[in-house]
Amino acid sequence: MAGLFKRLYDWLLRMFWQTELDITMIGLQNAGKTSLLRVLAGGEFTIDTIPTVGFNMKKVQQGHVTLKCWDLGGQPRFRPMWERYCKGVNAIVFIVDSADQAALPVAREELHLLLEKPSLDGIPLLVLGNKSDLSHHLSVDQLIEVLDLKSVSKREVSCYGISAKEETNLDAVLNWLISRSAR
Amino acid sequence: MSYGKRDEDADGAIVRVDRTAVFQEARLFNSSPVSPRKCRILLTKIALLLFTGEKFPTNEATTLFFGISKLFQNKDASLRQMVYLVIKELANTAEDVIMVTSSIMKDCQVGSDIVYRANAIRALCRIIDATTIPAIERIIKTAIVDKVPSVCSAALVSSYHLLPVSRDIVRRWQNEVQEAASGSKSSGFSLGFGGSHSQSIPNTSYNTQYHAIGLLYQMRSHDRMALVKMVQQYSAAGVVKSPAAIMLLVRLAAKLATDDPGLRKPMVQLLDGWLRHKSELVNFEAAKAICDLPDVTDGEATQTIHSLQLFLVSPRPVTKFAAIRILHNFATFKPDLVRACNPDIESLVTNTNRSIGTFAISTLLKTCNESSVDRLMKQITTFMSEISDDFKVTIVEAIRTLAIKFPSKHASIFTFLSQTLREDGGFDFKKAVVESMFDLIKFVPESKEDALAHLAEFIEDCEFTKLAVRILHLLGMEGPKTKTPTKYIRYIYNRVVLENAIVRAAAVTALGKFGLSKDEEVRSSIKVLLTRCLDDVDDEVRDRAAMNLRLMAEDDDTASKFIRNDSMFSLPVLEHQLVMYVTAEGRDTFASPFDLSKIPVVTREQADADERTRKLTSATPTLKAPSMPKTTAQGAAEAAASTAAAAQKYAAELQKIPELSSYGGVLKSSPVVELTESETEYVVKAIKHIFKEHIVLQFDINNTLPDTVLTDVSILSTPVDANDPDEAAPLEEDFLIPVSQLKTNEPGTVYVAFKNTSGSSYPACTFSNILKFTSKEVDPSTGEPEETGYDDEYQVEDLDLGGSDFVVPAFAGSWEGVWESSAGGEEAAETLSLTGSKSIADAVTQLTNVFQLQPLDGSDVALSASTHTLKLYGKSINGGKVAVQVRMAFSAKAGVTIQIRARSEEDGMATAVISSVTG
Repeated sequence: MAGLFKRLYDWLLRMFWQTELDITMIGLQNAGKTSLLRVLAGGEFTIDTIPTVGFNMKKVQQGHVTLKCWDLGGQPRFRPMWERYCKGVNAIVFIVDSADQAALPVAREELHLLLEKPSLDGIPLLVLGNKSDLSHHLSVDQLIEVLDLKSVSKREVSCYGISAKEETNLDAVLNWLISRSAR
Repeated sequence: MSYGKRDEDADGAIVRVDRTAVFQEARLFNSSPVSPRKCRILLTKIALLLFTGEKFPTNEATTLFFGISKLFQNKDASLRQMVYLVIKELANTAEDVIMVTSSIMKDCQVGSDIVYRANAIRALCRIIDATTIPAIERIIKTAIVDKVPSVCSAALVSSYHLLPVSRDIVRRWQNEVQEAASGSKSSGFSLGFGGSHSQSIPNTSYNTQYHAIGLLYQMRSHDRMALVKMVQQYSAAGVVKSPAAIMLLVRLAAKLATDDPGLRKPMVQLLDGWLRHKSELVNFEAAKAICDLPDVTDGEATQTIHSLQLFLVSPRPVTKFAAIRILHNFATFKPDLVRACNPDIESLVTNTNRSIGTFAISTLLKTCNESSVDRLMKQITTFMSEISDDFKVTIVEAIRTLAIKFPSKHASIFTFLSQTLREDGGFDFKKAVVESMFDLIKFVPESKEDALAHLAEFIEDCEFTKLAVRILHLLGMEGPKTKTPTKYIRYIYNRVVLENAIVRAAAVTALGKFGLSKDEEVRSSIKVLLTRCLDDVDDEVRDRAAMNLRLMAEDDDTASKFIRNDSMFSLPVLEHQLVMYVTAEGRDTFASPFDLSKIPVVTREQADADERTRKLTSATPTLKAPSMPKTTAQGAAEAAASTAAAAQKYAAELQKIPELSSYGGVLKSSPVVELTESETEYVVKAIKHIFKEHIVLQFDINNTLPDTVLTDVSILSTPVDANDPDEAAPLEEDFLIPVSQLKTNEPGTVYVAFKNTSGSSYPACTFSNILKFTSKEVDPSTGEPEETGYDDEYQVEDLDLGGSDFVVPAFAGSWEGVWESSAGGEEAAETLSLTGSKSIADAVTQLTNVFQLQPLDGSDVALSASTHTLKLYGKSINGGKVAVQVRMAFSAKAGVTIQIRARSEEDGMATAVISSVTG
């Protein structure tokens, strides 16, 4: 019975206070963007995802908020097009493979290159260290250090460690994203 | 709400779509949430712009493209369709289109709504690049065998577009495509399954079969056997239900029959069967295919003509039109067969549909024989005024051909032309009529006076400057030769008084040509008229008048040489040389002025001959089948046209050889003679180039042996006097240019030059030729030839040098005139039977090829199957006239018996020419 009311309440919320957020998910190839989006949208985690050619778009419904997630391809040839999809979004999610230390310098470079673009000023940034289920992953503090997130100014920056496979910390991610709609 | 409604309904808003405004509006795509209806309208506007030919510049297209990509995954199905439609169009101009691949792939998969699945597949193949095709392979494969026709068709058409991008991958889908082509899936099957959320559309059109067969053909286009199998497999009754797909098979069968003579019989049988198919589309395609077969025999075509005849009386105008159009084309080269339909065609002449009527009349013009020309002319005149200019032009062209074909009917044809000339009409129409008259004047000398009179009258009120100028030129050329030149002078001078400057200038030049007249009275009046022209307001007119007056005052023949120039530069060569000069690489080319003396000068008669062959072979009024293969029964006219092109090529090649520069220009190059069978180890072809005092033999040698290299290749060519082998040869070898190395299938050329030592300028002899070379094996591992080889000789066939090598085709208005005028010279005669010829027409083409002379008076078309007289004319390389008359008789028992009589101005020429047949 309570469930029914809850559903009714949600439906009413959606009816009258429906909000839509645009979220762009970027990061180097094989960081886990597509897998994360699938899990966020309520799907199963699959191990063998084919590399994204271009981008994927999925909507994630959370209460009265619809998250429109743009999952962009991470291969080098798609990176120049990230900016185009980051313009005017509510938040940028930058996903790194926290277990792949060799790729981190490249990730840092790409991230800072993107954040320098004047068209993206003030857009909140969420950095996610994915694959925290692997044994040799970096901690959040280490990530902040390596990616040089302290130097990012004039925008809101957060950094979480997550695992799309074991679905750890995903609620925090969703809450962080939804809280962008409050302002 | 009301605003939106107005936007959607107002027609004007859509029509007045402006590119920049639309581009500004495109910001709408970035708004969130997406409004499907507004976006759809905007996308429609973009589509409208794209389809009406507007081009978005690359940066705008890219911005639009990425704007549109924000609309993906919308719930509104029609918006998704629209998105894919526009993406498909923008994909060519926008950059980075590969970006949307993953998103579109999602919509192509099984389970997505069929409403937009087909659109998604079509868009996908436009944005994909070669590297990502493997990723979509599975999607397309499943789509090809999908039970929904629209999806299946989309996948097939997409594969068709992907084929050039990645041939190998697409060819792996053959099995799926075959399944789609045979249409084995039943349309009722999917109805039983509620699994897909689509209501299945029953497959009634079988359009997928059409697409599948088109794709299969593309996949197998390099494998003839596979194509044959495909045609046979799908031509079985009931396998392919779509008429369009069968039409493709018809075309394919026709192509196979044309390409491979061995397949001709089974393919023609198939085509015959399709003539009785229940769909008219297939019937017409099959009929057209049979009619277009090269060298179609009467037996093959009779059935076709019969079924087309049935369509002529069909109640539907479209059917009639299609049938008469095919017959019209066919009548161009097989008038006898089409003649059977004449009663039916005649009833179509008065058809209310003018397109049918026009085709009917021009078909009749082609099939008619001499006796019915008059009646037809009368019939045409009645409705000439009712039809549009385009049709008039078609008819006039047909009549022009008729005039060349039946010179004796020139009177009635001429009356008709002059009548039509008086009617109202546009430039194209008038031009066609005037050109027909020009042809009459040129090729039918009897009608000259009448035609000139009519043309002179026509320019009195001709509104087209171009035509007036051309007619004035012709009057200037022909007028002085007529009995009463003064008549034309009056007409021409009227132009000087009344017309604009361009026409006045042309008229003055024409008057100048009359100034050469022998008649003193004419000369003086021309002088008066030209003097008056000196006061003209236009400088060009004054200049021309002054120059003509000055030339008339000259005593010597400068004037006649200059004004009545009977020779002109060979225009194709002149053009080629000028282009070479202007586009030369080095600066030093421009240090010396362009050398005009290098350009061969041709006489006006020769130019006329060329022009006539061009006219007869040009697309509209042809007398020969349009697509004859090169090797068999090549029409003399075509041969002449191709030799002209070849001569130019040879001349360019020979110019590169320094040793030949002292020989002067090439006077004549023979056609290619094959000295070996085409499938031997070494293929040798020869071309004889005739110079003033030298003969150069060009041997094109091709080594077909794999893994061997021929070095020091030369030809030992020994001339033997044709008439008396014991006599010393009339030619003496001057030099030889060997080929140092001949790799497999890389042709090389050996030149052997001879000097003519005999007194006669037409030495007849036979060359025995031996190919000499050193053969070396090629080491397959290194690709290098081995050090040592062995010397070898290879005997090739003999090469004859005869009279026909020294003549070039030339044109004359009347063959009889030439024949009579050359009566004083040498005359030779010979009677023999041609065993190799199956018919008169066959013999005619053979003989014109052997003699290399120009057939005159339309004698290259045999009208009767039993007897014919071929009249040939040409000039020797020294300019002497050569006329040949060949009477032929055909009987089934003895084949073709011919009697040849040849006359020539120069001694020895007539015998030499005849010996090229007998020898």
